[in-house]
Parts: sequence; C-alpha cells; structure tokens
Amino acid sequence: MSVLTRTPQFHIARLRGRNNEGVLLGIIALLLLLIAMFSPGTLSPAMFADILRSSVVNMALALGVLLIIISGGIDVSFTAIAIFAAYSTVVLMRSIGLDNGILPFLAAAVIGALLGIINAVLVAGFKLQTLIATLGSQGIVRGALLAFVGSVYISSLPSALAQIGDARLTTIGGSAVSVLVIPVILLAVGLAVVLRKTMFGRSIYAIGGAPESARRAGIRVGRVQTVIYIAAGALSGFAGMVHVALVGHASPFELVGTELTVIAAVVIGGASDAGGRGSVQGVALGVVLLALIQNSLVRLGVPGFWHTAVVGVVILLGVAIQAQSRRRRSKRSTILESAVTA
Amino acid sequence: MTDNPVVLRARGIDKSYGGVHALADADLEIRAGEVHCLAGANGSGKSTLIKILSGVEAPDRGEIEIAGTVTSKLSVVGSISHGIQVIYQDLSLFPNLTVAENVAMTTRVAGRARIISITAARELTLTVMKRLELDIDPDALLEELSVAQRQLVAICRAIANDVRVLFMDEPTTALTWNEVGTLFQVVSALKADGVAIVFVSHKTEEVFALSDRITVLRNGKVVAVGGVAEFDRDSLVEALIGRQELEERIVSSDVHDSPVLEVNSISAPGLFAEISFTAHAGEIIGLTGLMGSGRSEVADAIFGIIPFTSGRVAVDGHDIRSGDVASAISAGIAYVPSDRLTQGIFLDQAISRNLVASSISSLANKLGWLRPKAIRAGVDKLIDELSLKVGSPDDPVSSLSGGNQQRVVIGKWLATNPRVLVLNGPTVGVDIGSKAAILQILREKAAQGITVLLISDDVPELVSVCHRVLVVRRGRLVDEIASQNVTVEAVRERSIA
Amino acid sequence: MSSASTVAPSFLARVRRTLDAAGHTGNLGLLLAGVIIVFSLLNPSIFASPLNLQSIAYAVPEIALLALAIAVTMSSGGIDLSIVATANLSALGAASVSIALMAGGVPGDAAAATGIAVALTVGVGCGLINGLLVAKLRIAPILATLATMTLFSGFAVAVTRGTPLYGLPDAILALGVQTVAIIPVSFWLLILAVVVIWAVMNRTGLGLRIILVGASPEAADYTGIRRSRVLLSTYALSGAIAALAGILMSARSASATAEYGSSYLLLAITIAVLGGTNPLGGRAPIVGVGVAAIVLQAISSGFNGLHISPYIYQILQGLILVVVLVVEVRRGRLTKWITRMMSRPPADGAALAASTGAATPLKEQPTPKPLTQGSHEHD
Repeated sequence: MSVLTRTPQFHIARLRGRNNEGVLLGIIALLLLLIAMFSPGTLSPAMFADILRSSVVNMALALGVLLIIISGGIDVSFTAIAIFAAYSTVVLMRSIGLDNGILPFLAAAVIGALLGIINAVLVAGFKLQTLIATLGSQGIVRGALLAFVGSVYISSLPSALAQIGDARLTTIGGSAVSVLVIPVILLAVGLAVVLRKTMFGRSIYAIGGAPESARRAGIRVGRVQTVIYIAAGALSGFAGMVHVALVGHASPFELVGTELTVIAAVVIGGASDAGGRGSVQGVALGVVLLALIQNSLVRLGVPGFWHTAVVGVVILLGVAIQAQSRRRRSKRSTILESAVTA
Repeated sequence: MTDNPVVLRARGIDKSYGGVHALADADLEIRAGEVHCLAGANGSGKSTLIKILSGVEAPDRGEIEIAGTVTSKLSVVGSISHGIQVIYQDLSLFPNLTVAENVAMTTRVAGRARIISITAARELTLTVMKRLELDIDPDALLEELSVAQRQLVAICRAIANDVRVLFMDEPTTALTWNEVGTLFQVVSALKADGVAIVFVSHKTEEVFALSDRITVLRNGKVVAVGGVAEFDRDSLVEALIGRQELEERIVSSDVHDSPVLEVNSISAPGLFAEISFTAHAGEIIGLTGLMGSGRSEVADAIFGIIPFTSGRVAVDGHDIRSGDVASAISAGIAYVPSDRLTQGIFLDQAISRNLVASSISSLANKLGWLRPKAIRAGVDKLIDELSLKVGSPDDPVSSLSGGNQQRVVIGKWLATNPRVLVLNGPTVGVDIGSKAAILQILREKAAQGITVLLISDDVPELVSVCHRVLVVRRGRLVDEIASQNVTVEAVRERSIA
Repeated sequence: MSSASTVAPSFLARVRRTLDAAGHTGNLGLLLAGVIIVFSLLNPSIFASPLNLQSIAYAVPEIALLALAIAVTMSSGGIDLSIVATANLSALGAASVSIALMAGGVPGDAAAATGIAVALTVGVGCGLINGLLVAKLRIAPILATLATMTLFSGFAVAVTRGTPLYGLPDAILALGVQTVAIIPVSFWLLILAVVVIWAVMNRTGLGLRIILVGASPEAADYTGIRRSRVLLSTYALSGAIAALAGILMSARSASATAEYGSSYLLLAITIAVLGGTNPLGGRAPIVGVGVAAIVLQAISSGFNGLHISPYIYQILQGLILVVVLVVEVRRGRLTKWITRMMSRPPADGAALAASTGAATPLKEQPTPKPLTQGSHEHD
C-alpha cells in the first residue's frame, strides 16, 4: 500500500527551494561572509547601493529571458531588441521634439513588443529552433537599427528623460539609488504573480515541461509562445530604456554582447535550459550574485583584466550545478517497491 | 444497456500518417453508462482513434457526433467541454508541476480560467482523492512520485472534470492488484453515475471482467462489435489477432547443452530482484509478463542500459560489467530494443548507415578509416539475408515499412556476429508478413547456434518459436514453462495469473 | 504558344533532375554563380577584378573554418559557441610561444612550427573542456559553450592584459599574404582542411559515429556507440579547427588579440546552416559549408564595392539564416508542391485559356494521385 501514502518530504529539501533558490541564497551569504573576513571595509551600505544599481538593467532584461527559458526556448536577440527600442525612441523624441519622462518607457516597450513579433512568427509560426531563430533576429534587428535608425552616439537625452534617469529614490551610504528601481521591482513582482497565479503563467511551465501533454490538455501552445515572445520583446524594450536613462546617453552599440551575463543569471537562478523550471526569485538571486561577484572583484582589488575570466568560471559553475541537480531529480519508475509491499 | 442513449459516435473515420493507414473507415458508438472495451493489438489504431476523439488529431475523413451535434473535427477544448476525458498511456501529465496543478489543469483550461488558485486546486484534488480513497500530497511535484502514483493522479485529473465519456488507454499497466481493484471500484462508481467508460486493452481477462460492449480494431479497421455476451475468449482472440496469426509451433530439437548466457540472481533496486536463468546455444527463450512487470527492465539490464546492483551476467563464462553496454556488446550480446523509432533506428539516416551502426569498428582499419568496399559488401549481404525490400541502401530508413525497419535493426546486430540475441517486442506494430519473416530469422539464427532471448507479450508468437517461456511478475521470475507445456493456453494463463 | 506550354515543363523537369542529382551543395554552387554574376553586372570594373576575387579568397578561409567547427558540432546535435574565443586563445598561444622562442634565439621557422603546434594544442584543450562539460556533466551545449566562451576570452584578456601581441614569425605572417598559383596560401589551406574534415566526417568511424549520435542520441546508446567519447572527440575536433582559424586570423591581421572577430559567431552559424547543416544534428555537408562561406563573403565584398552599409549585410545574414531554415522546415510542402506542378498532365485547354486570357470556362483537370496512395502497403 506504499503507493497510497504520502511521499516523505524532508525539511532540508524544502529549504533548498524548487529551483535551488536556498542554495543560491547560501552562496550569496557565504560570499558576503568571505568579503567581511578578508576585506571588512568593503562591506558597506554603499556596496549594496552599487549592486542594486548594477542589477537594475540586468534584472529587467532577465525577466523577459526567464519567460522564454521557462517555455523551453532560449533568446539571444533580447539585447538587440532592447537597444533598438530605446535608441529609436530617443531618436524619435528628438525628431518630433517630445520631452517626457514616462512616455519613452512605454514607447520603447511597444517597439520591443513589435520586434518580439519577429521571434513569435519564427518560433510559434515556423517552429524554428529558438537559438537559431533569435540569432537570426538579433542580426536583423541590430542591422536594421544601425543601418536605418542611426549609428551615432547621442550624448544628451531629452531633459525630462535625463531627469528621470538622475532622480534618486534614496541614498545609501553616499551611493544613489535610482527611482527606476521601483518600476523594475513592480514588473518583477507582477511577473512573479503572473507566473504563479495565472493560467497563462502555469501554461508556460506546462509547455516547457511537457509540450505534447500541454497540447493534449487543450493549451494552445502556439498562442502562448506568441504572447511570451511579444511580452519578452516589450520587457526588453523597457529594459533598454532603463539602461539609456541610467547611463544618460544613447549609444546603439551598447547592451549587445551582454546577452550571456543575463542568460547566465537566469540559468544560475534555477531556470532549466530544458524548460519548465525557474522563478522570478531565483532570477533575482542570480542577477544579484553575478553583480556581487563583479562588484567584490573590484573591491578586493582583482585586476580588471581578470574579471571576465572569473565571471566565466562562476557562470560555468552555476550552470554545472544546475545541470547536476536536474540529473539527480530525474529518476526511474519503480516496479518492485510496490510489489514487495503488496 | 443497449437502450441507453448514444453519447458519442464516430463514423467513417480515416487517418493516415505519411502513407501508413492508421485508421480506415472506423466506426465507434459509445452509450451512456456503459463500459466499452476498445480492443486491439499494438498498432491496430486504438490510440489514433482516441486522439481523434479527444481533438488532438484531426481525421482525414469521417464525422464525429457528440451531444447531438455533428462535426468533422473536434478541438481539444471542445472535446473536454463536451465531457470527453482521456487517460493516455503515457499519462500526459506535467512532471514539473504539483499534483494539485496537474489535477486542476484541464478543468481550468476548458473553463477558460484566467487565474489559477492554488488553494482551489488543492481542494479540488483533495475532494477527488477522497472519492477514490487516495492520499497523495497535492503539493508534491509530480516527478517526485512513483509511476503508479502518477497513474492515479492521471485518473484524478480525468474525473476532476465534468466527465461524460472517459477513455482509459491501458490504465492497469503500472498498477498493482490493490490499485487495479481501486480502479475497478472507481469505474463502477462512474458507471453508476451514467459516465461512459471506454477501456483500451489487449488483455482478454480485463476485457471480460469489465466491459459491457466490445469494439475490436485490427490494422485500422473495425473487425467486430457487440455486447460482451456475444464474445467468448476464442472469438475475441481471433478478432484481435486474426485467424492466420495463430501459427504452428516450430521449434528445433537441436539445442546444445553448453550454457551461453548465464543470468545469476541479478537485482536492480525498485525494478526487479533475483532473476536467474541459463540459456544454451541454439535455444530460443521467451520472457513474458504483463506490461510494467519488469520484463523490459531485465532485458535492458542484460544489455547494460540499466545497471544491476547484485548478481552476475555472463556470456560463455565471461562476466559482463553492470551498466556497461560496450562490455555487453563485446561479450557478444545484441539487443533489439522495444521502441523501434527512438531506440532502434536512426530514422532520417540511410538504410546502409543503420545497418553498419553497431559494427563500425570492424568496418574500419586500424587508423579508423572506413573501408567502403567492405561496408557495401556487408550491407548487400544483410539486405539479401534479411530479404529486405529496399530501393537503394542510401534511402533513409524512414522510407521503409515498420516490419522492414525492424529487420534493419536485427540486421544491424547480425553484422556483429552476436552470441546472444535479445529482442524486446520485435514484432510490435509490424505487419503479418514481416512478423513471420522475423520469427523465421530467429529460428534460423538459433539453428546456427545463437542464443535468442525473446521478450514479448504476444503469446502465440512465444509459443510459435520458444523452447522455454519464463514469466516475470512484479519484478520477479515466477514461472517457467518448458517443452511440450508451451501452449497458448498455458502461457496466457500463467503470465496473467 | 502550345509549344511553349510543352517545352516549359520538360525544361523545368530537366532542371529539377539536375538539381536533385547535385543536391544542396549543387544549389549552393548555382547560388554562388548567381551572386558573382549579379555583382559583376552591377559593378563590373571592381567586383570581377582579379584583385577583388583574390581579396575574397584571403577573407574566406578563417570564417569558413569557424563555420566548419560549428558544422561539426551541429552534426553531433550540439553547438560550439566558444569557437571565436577558442580561435583567439589559440592564436595568442601561438603568438606568445613563438615570439618568446624567437627572442631566445630560435630560428623563425622553428618558432612558427612550435607556435602552430601550441595553437592546435590549446584549441584541442578548449574543445576537450567543452566536450567534458557536454558529455560528462551533461550540460546543454548552448549553455556550456556560452560559459566557456566567456571563460576562454576572459582568460585571453587576462594573460594579454588586453593588449595585442605583435611580432609574429614570418612563416606565420606568410599565411596571410602569400599566394601559390594566384590563390592565397590560406585558401589552399582551407581546401586541404575541407578535404580532411570531409574525409573525417564521411570516411572514418568517428565521423559516422558523430553523425549517428547527432541523428539520435538514444538510438546511439542502444547501438553501443560510446556517446560521451564521441562527443569529446567532436568538440576536440571543433577546437582544433577553431585553432587553425585563429592562426589564419592572426596571420592576416599580423597580430593576436583577445578581441578579434567578435562578429564572426553569427556569421559562422549562418554559413553552417546555409551550407546545409541541420542544427538538430545528423548531417555534415562539409563541402556545402565551404561553398556557403564563399557565397557570403562574395555578398559582403559585393556590398562593400557598391558602398552598401555593412549593417545591411548584417541584416542580410540574419535573414539568410532564418529564411534557409524556414525553407528547410517547409521543404516537405515545397517538394510536394513542385511535384504536383510537374506531374500535372499538360492541359491544353487550360494553357490556351490562360495565355489568351479567354473567359471560356475551364475543363476540370484530373487531379494527380497523391504520392502516398497505392504505392505499397505498410503495416
């Protein structure tokens, strides 16, 4: 009768979290402890403010990537979409003389959503492999930006936008915290709710975990994919605008090339490349962990040219740990167990 | 029962997949409150019919009448909202979601819900489980459960909906007797509520124990329909497999005394325990048991796909390392796996490449360069030996029929000159001509001194070629039927007992 | 008029037969011819000039090799995104060792040979790291090689402190500038590499195993192919090819740096796919990849000559990648459509009506039988 009894759940296992969130939190705590031991001076409120600031854009970008990765795909076009949306919004504002602090974020999100349609058509419509499809759209979007929208560095933003970028929410230890943290947090919380509480959110997990079962359960796989690629585009566009506002200039050559860091943060945060797993909390921890490592490398005086290599090692470790824990989870069906007790 | 209103009717359903006619002009009529058995051998079209009636696949031709409306194609959501529920053979659950989410998923999709409340899903699950007297943690991830528990979750999911017609595609395969008992109780309770249950099975015992009416499919066609009283075991078997299928038993008396394959008390935790037998040169041994009895796992373990934790397997006295396919192959074991399409063949690759896949090292020189002439000669020899009907050896193996594909898999192993040939369900989904040809190949190979281990639940096939038949039940070897005792009746009785 | 309607199908049929015989690589050859003709017509004085053709031949080898590295890993069902980083790291290895040797008084040719050996070793080493991650730790190839891409290029930045290395031995520099029979040495090297890689993929047990693992990893396991060993070799091979590309890159730019060729990854994947590689594995059209590299380089050079923005070329790359795959996905439907068009019996009435625009009602045409019916019975 063993089948009819509950599966024992250990509390330790619960602590680890569904996507190893607990483990991540532990690693972050351990890192902080190490920094406190070896370089006590650096562990300051200002450090937290710095980490927060350097995490904002990556977090906003990571939210879109998370959607795609949960659904079982991968996206490498999001940085191209982000900078296309943000840069062309700034160009547009300058050409029509619009000066507004809120509208550009919405406009960039809309442009991002429109660009997301390309990915949606390729993935949901033509059923292309997502890596190849988004590599292609990365080339198209980036090329179109540089060829048709512009390839010059815009050093000053419209004043209302520049103000938003400079506006401080608060100051921690002499380091400013931008107000743009608020919309990113709101989006993150909103997405967490969508993923956990809505049928749409659960459908994304269902598609990522078992596409054929999802089809049989009546979930319209193509439609869900369409929506997530458009939503990811919108999130990328918004994130691009956050980046432009924070740095205070618009350069069409920025962001592209940082895909890996964002994808790594999402994967380290527990999203499985095979799909069906991942959480906003995990992603937030992944983003913070990477920012913390980069930040502490600076503070611990590691020479700048070693940073990429160290980050590479961290990413590799994170990816490897997640792959191992996924392997451990999958187990074979049992025949004997029930037979012995019967 | 025949007076009950018809709740679901399919007429003239045709469906083919790339030239293979899965269903041809099939009719099905389901009445309220009946248990209807959809019987048929593997590959007879049962699963295709279910997919069409649940809206997963669109028929090429034909119409479906449900609740008074006639349509040529159902959508999945349309089918669910008409009260059709399916428990698929592969369960079609979501391993990465919780039990409660799995149970609630289809009702919420069909109800066009936008929000999923974890609490409501949990309550729904607990209610359904109470009805079935089950106790599975609704917050556990599905992947943490055993297969039997997953099967119960699938049943919970089906009846969590407002179900009027419940399809069950071989629901008893992974269940123990207790659970099958529970399932049968559920079935009678549902039946009393007026739910029609369509039960897919090719086990005659279950069919007679449960059903009111029977529809038998063979090769995509409906070959018999009627109340259960109109059938007896023989007529059902005849309808299921056709008269010509009951082949005569031809086994050679030429078995050598020398043991070739020795399986000595091997166990794998959770799968099987203390399996022992010895097979001799020229002997064909059958290994049978119900689906999920562990028979496939024993075969996988002998070939090194699954490691065994104790005991030993040896060929000609040489031990094989547990869980090491290469060691099994170098000892002379060849294995035709159960899933031809994903495990047996390389679907898009050329027939010639498939035929040489297992003997690459012997076709290359010391530096690893392939010898094209040797390859061509070997391929031609195999095609001839297996009487494969191929246009060109460079055509993809996907261009062949199932029977010819299976012969390619066997050929791939014959190229390695094996001492022991293990075959797991080699004639499943294979046409009659190919089946006879495959069995004849086994007889010929045995006559050449090869030891053959045939894993199958096709009783007439086992009787037709095997010297001995071993029976596995719930992971243990429980019976051995030898020489003149190998009859269809004996094997069927003891494998199901 | 009626003669036109009968000639056209037979001509088309002949074209189709020719194309079928030549396969995808043949199509690419036609495409290359088309590209050359179009640009030669658009820009006769420049594009078709020997100098320009030679400059194309100088540029092709490194990117073709990178695409071949992608093709090899793709045919095993994976991908190696770290190729550019591997190439740079290998080139740096070659440069630093050979420069140090020359400084120590070792003759230039010996230093160059040692450097090339070092580069190949570094390349194979990088490949083995990728192979271990993919085969032993079972990390998805995309993620594993994305991570090693950062790791290798980060390591390259760290050892060079971000500055390029100059002063390569003459023997290496010669690879970037010298010709034999008008054709650049590096292009001869590419031809040699294509032949060798083609032979490895099509004429050795390893190549066959790589393709079979790519076609179906599960079937490979059940066939007794040692999958992890095969994958290790695949990524090592990819690393070696990337190292070769790295040497050519450093030879052409007369320096080795950590940041060379950052735009090459997308291009290499595009070439591999255009060459006929299936990103899902099971196919290794080595010659096709070589031809595809020339096609894309010719387009790039043609654009350059016409002063079209390189960004337009980037768009075109993305479009080619996507369109080739969409066509691939739709090919089943396309071939069916072509077959239907071809097998349609000549209907004179229809042809007449269509060509004269007459409003006479058309006779109903007999519809051709679907190919699938009546040919032979399956199960």
